[in-house]
Amino acid sequence: MKRKITFMLNGSPVAVETDPSRRAVDVLREDLGLTGTKEGCGSGECGACSILVDDVVKLSCIMTAAQLEGRKIVTIEGVGQGGELHPVQRSFVELGAIQCGFCTPGMVVAAVGFLKGNPDPTREEIRAGISGNICRCTGYEKIIDAVEDAAAKIRGGRSGG
Amino acid sequence: MADIRIPSSLDEVFRLLRDVPSTRLFAGGTDVMVRSFPDTLWRESLLCLERVEELRGISESATEVRIGAATTLSELIGSSLIAERFPLLRQAARHIGAPAVRNMGTLGGNICTASPAGDTLPPLYILNAEVELRSLKGTRRMPIGAFITGPGQTQREEGEVLCAVVIGKEQGFDLHHFEKVGQRKAMAISVASLAFAAETRRDGTIVKARCAFGSVAPTVFISRPLNDTFAGNTLNRAVLERVAAMVREGVSPISDIRASMGYRKQVAGNLIMRLEGAGKDR
Amino acid sequence: MKEGERHFLDGPRLDAFSKVTGRERYAADEYAGEFFWVGAKRALVPHARLFAVHTSRAAAHPGIVRVLTSRDVGGSNRLGIVRNHQPVLVDEVIRHAGDPVALVVARSREALREALALITFDHEPLPGVFDPDEALKEGAPRIHEDNEEGNLVRAVRVRRGDPDEAFRDCDVVVEGVFETPRQEHAYLETETGWAFVDENGELVIIASTQTPYRDRKEIAAALGLGINSVRVIAPYLGGAFGGKDGITVQCLVGLAALNTGGVPVKMWWDRRESFLAGMKRLPARMHYRLGANKDGTFEALSCRLYYDAGPYAGLTGEIMAMGAEHAGSAYRVPNVNIEGYCVHTNNTLGGPFRGFGVPQSTAGMEQVVSMAAGKLGMDPLEIRRINALRAGDRNCVGVELNYSTGFSECIDRLAEHPLWKDREAWKASAPAWKKRGCGVGCMAHAIGYPALIPDEANARVELTQNGAIRVYSGVSDMGQGNAGTYLRIAGEVLNQDPATMEIVQPDTDHDLPSGTSSASRTTYTFGNAVIQAALSLREVILRAGARSLGVEGIDSVEMIPGAVRIKGSTRQMALRDLAAFIDAGSRSCKGHFRTPYDESTLAIMYLGTHVLFSFGAHLARIEVDTLTGRIDVVDYVAVTDAGRVLNRPVYDQQVQGSIAQGIGFAIMEDYVVKDGRHETEDLATYIVPTSLDVPDMVSVAVEPDETTGPFGMKGIGEVVISGCLPAIANALHDACGVRITRLPLTPERVLSALTGKGEKE
Repeated sequence: MKRKITFMLNGSPVAVETDPSRRAVDVLREDLGLTGTKEGCGSGECGACSILVDDVVKLSCIMTAAQLEGRKIVTIEGVGQGGELHPVQRSFVELGAIQCGFCTPGMVVAAVGFLKGNPDPTREEIRAGISGNICRCTGYEKIIDAVEDAAAKIRGGRSGG
Repeated sequence: MADIRIPSSLDEVFRLLRDVPSTRLFAGGTDVMVRSFPDTLWRESLLCLERVEELRGISESATEVRIGAATTLSELIGSSLIAERFPLLRQAARHIGAPAVRNMGTLGGNICTASPAGDTLPPLYILNAEVELRSLKGTRRMPIGAFITGPGQTQREEGEVLCAVVIGKEQGFDLHHFEKVGQRKAMAISVASLAFAAETRRDGTIVKARCAFGSVAPTVFISRPLNDTFAGNTLNRAVLERVAAMVREGVSPISDIRASMGYRKQVAGNLIMRLEGAGKDR
Repeated sequence: MKEGERHFLDGPRLDAFSKVTGRERYAADEYAGEFFWVGAKRALVPHARLFAVHTSRAAAHPGIVRVLTSRDVGGSNRLGIVRNHQPVLVDEVIRHAGDPVALVVARSREALREALALITFDHEPLPGVFDPDEALKEGAPRIHEDNEEGNLVRAVRVRRGDPDEAFRDCDVVVEGVFETPRQEHAYLETETGWAFVDENGELVIIASTQTPYRDRKEIAAALGLGINSVRVIAPYLGGAFGGKDGITVQCLVGLAALNTGGVPVKMWWDRRESFLAGMKRLPARMHYRLGANKDGTFEALSCRLYYDAGPYAGLTGEIMAMGAEHAGSAYRVPNVNIEGYCVHTNNTLGGPFRGFGVPQSTAGMEQVVSMAAGKLGMDPLEIRRINALRAGDRNCVGVELNYSTGFSECIDRLAEHPLWKDREAWKASAPAWKKRGCGVGCMAHAIGYPALIPDEANARVELTQNGAIRVYSGVSDMGQGNAGTYLRIAGEVLNQDPATMEIVQPDTDHDLPSGTSSASRTTYTFGNAVIQAALSLREVILRAGARSLGVEGIDSVEMIPGAVRIKGSTRQMALRDLAAFIDAGSRSCKGHFRTPYDESTLAIMYLGTHVLFSFGAHLARIEVDTLTGRIDVVDYVAVTDAGRVLNRPVYDQQVQGSIAQGIGFAIMEDYVVKDGRHETEDLATYIVPTSLDVPDMVSVAVEPDETTGPFGMKGIGEVVISGCLPAIANALHDACGVRITRLPLTPERVLSALTGKGEKE
């Protein structure tokens, strides 16, 4: 039985008509064409499906579409502002934090969510902040470098969201 | 397809449960969704509790702290009241999963899932926490040790919802210790865990202590004789070795893909040794 | 090109922007209008004779388009480039739990799931074989009835000198048995493909694959199609590490596409299916014996290596052979007896995984080397320095090293590192209940294919009609960034900004066959071909430019970003305009390269050997929790010789990622199979390192100039991972005096060894 679900998506209101028990990750990828959010495990283990729900990092592969109702959802496509990269994204690019890139959207979202709550983190805190995002390519080293760099830039007042 | 409702009030929850008694409840989904997707979920009637007002929030009265069952683990960790009153509970919550899992998972969920490895459980046992259950028939409270009866088994009846966890404010502990052993440092199910709280004197002598173990028995392992062994002693090696031996005798772990029975037994006792010297020089 | 004149090799990865914005479309991201989902019914039994597959109930399901079995496969229904014996869909014998017996094409994922549950099959269980030793015994059940050698896939033997005699004369002999685990790649993007038959009747497959050209041949033969009727496209892969080296979804999704009357199909293995049906690193059991003189020089090496191939040959024999070729790591040993056995079992499908057999044998050799050092009272770096291979030496299998050999320098640089120098003070300040240890692990890793297999690449670089430089990549980019590196290499030769250039990812319709994305060859081999193509194109462009600008000879003109300019003048012509003056054929230039090889090595062993190697020397500093058995890798230093560094971040990406996988391999990744049944099912029970499980990593580059490599480089994709397990195992011994046969070094195994042991070794 389909249901209309309305929510804010990357700054704009959106409505989907779908079976509300479908997974949120499928609605984003298939119905809304936003394939930036990835699926890596389907069981909440890898973090590749991370999105922001009312500014909080959550796992869209273990969320139902119904749970999107009325929420402010931000996916990787909406992390930047007005065509500009978010400082986290810029740091990821500049510091070489991306290899195959499949974990990257979830990792960026997790980092963005993490920095909102902890704007001046130590490296160890950054490690903990992204500990729910598995990366098989990078060994995490440059990802941590990038989050550290982005945190400094955000604190330094550089704009970009 | 499954029918899913997300009510915002308990009244609505009870109505839905009455209409479809077999409805599956979940809040954060970090257990139910993981276990059910993708096979069985398609046919069940689902009810998400994450927006039910009465289940949210942490409040205090003169004697108790009341934690709404749908309080997420992140909210628990971020609460200064919990940090001040129940550091052991906060410490345990911090070791569950990873940030997103903690943003979604709830205290009520951790309790109702009643996994032998549920990390918030040993601290809740030490704190003599009580669970508050509500249904159309009324409200009842019971100690957590009575509520959880076995792996995945609780006293929650059909039509009943776990509403809150209530913990007495005056615990009298000044020393806290928590350690979780997993296969890695995040996103790990406990293979053995120890929660320990004590009231001490200035010289480190224990006045009273309570310790509780996770993942080494069908439910949390907590034992009066074990706790009593600490009283009157400092946390010196000899006492701890005696306690460790008692622990290994008392626990009844299983072997599974994560760890063997033998390892769990050995480690449960070893975790006690980590307390050596704690409490002195404060 | 002179030192210090690099313009375009440095800079951020060129694929980073599209990936960081979520815009890059992987094979998993294909969805378009109407399409069907494809799924396979997996056997879930390890060994059985298949009699009948019952598909009618599934076929009758309203959401199902077709249900296919082996009867619907038009060609050979067989895969495998060495032994062509793996079925696309099982017809006679099920040989592992992941073997597919039927294929369902469905309108939705829900229907797919329901229909798969409705399929049953009649089978008779056959006795299974689950251990290589058991499999080699007389009378063991045969997994392939037509294999005259029983369950042996391949055996190799290399003998030099007189090891028996040499062992007798040695001052010290050490031996050990080491078992390395089955490792799962656990790439974030699981196996996936999208297929359709286009209006020309061509079967088009977009797949997450390292091997589009080889795939095309296999797909055509297996499904009964002309090779020119199959097109394979490989977008950026979401990780592979060897696990997508070969056929995974391609034949299944292709078969489905042939049966939908033109509607595209999508197959995407969920994590459980990826675990069940995908390839794994071959577990190995190795018996090592090393004899040394009092002064530390190695005299004799004897080893027997048993690799568990699983049910089908795939590339398993070749993996074992590579492990055997590297059995002596990076040292001179004049007397050797190396025996390698690759054996069928009904366990998991063995396949390539970063290192390709070398991490296994290196794990054995590097431990006996440290054991010998211990017995001689010698520093573990010193004993390695004494025996380190230098240019001109012969390695353990007798191959003379005539290319860059910077191994000694790796050892020297490691010895200078503060983390090595202050190790004793660090160890002495271990906190309560913890013991600290330091271990060394060194390695060699060959570049490219062995002598028998031409390691060739064909690049095309062209000046497009619009004046852009376009590189046609023949080698998949699975995350190592080679696509961007090709642009940088071409940009360097043509003096063009790579950010203005275009890349065409592998597409069998447009690019040229260039071998696989594997074997540490992806930049070395194809990069050299790009240079050749770019040089040709440069000449074409300069010639046309000179003509257009009215000057004599190409020496009077030069390339500048976006244009050709007369030297010493401002007169220039934009490439955009110049392109119109060059015919299409001329402005598209090909380049070819074949990696150096030595035919005489065919006499040494199966496939011959390699001649070019990268090297490394590692230090692991660990803390062992004596209460829980857990190992914490606190510091890790990797010193690497992979020739010159082209782009430092891209180089270090490989080093760091390899270390993380190596740490996983050493202490936590244990894929458990019992009697052919997978006990490890998903990422909750297959433990890969999170960000909290690995330390900050130090990467030091030793940079000899490899004159045969593009801008002096050698491959770096695989060399690093082999050092981790032995470095950590050696560190454990240093910390606690225990050495554990069965890896990984899980907390349980370590605690068991700590509590079970009597005296320190």
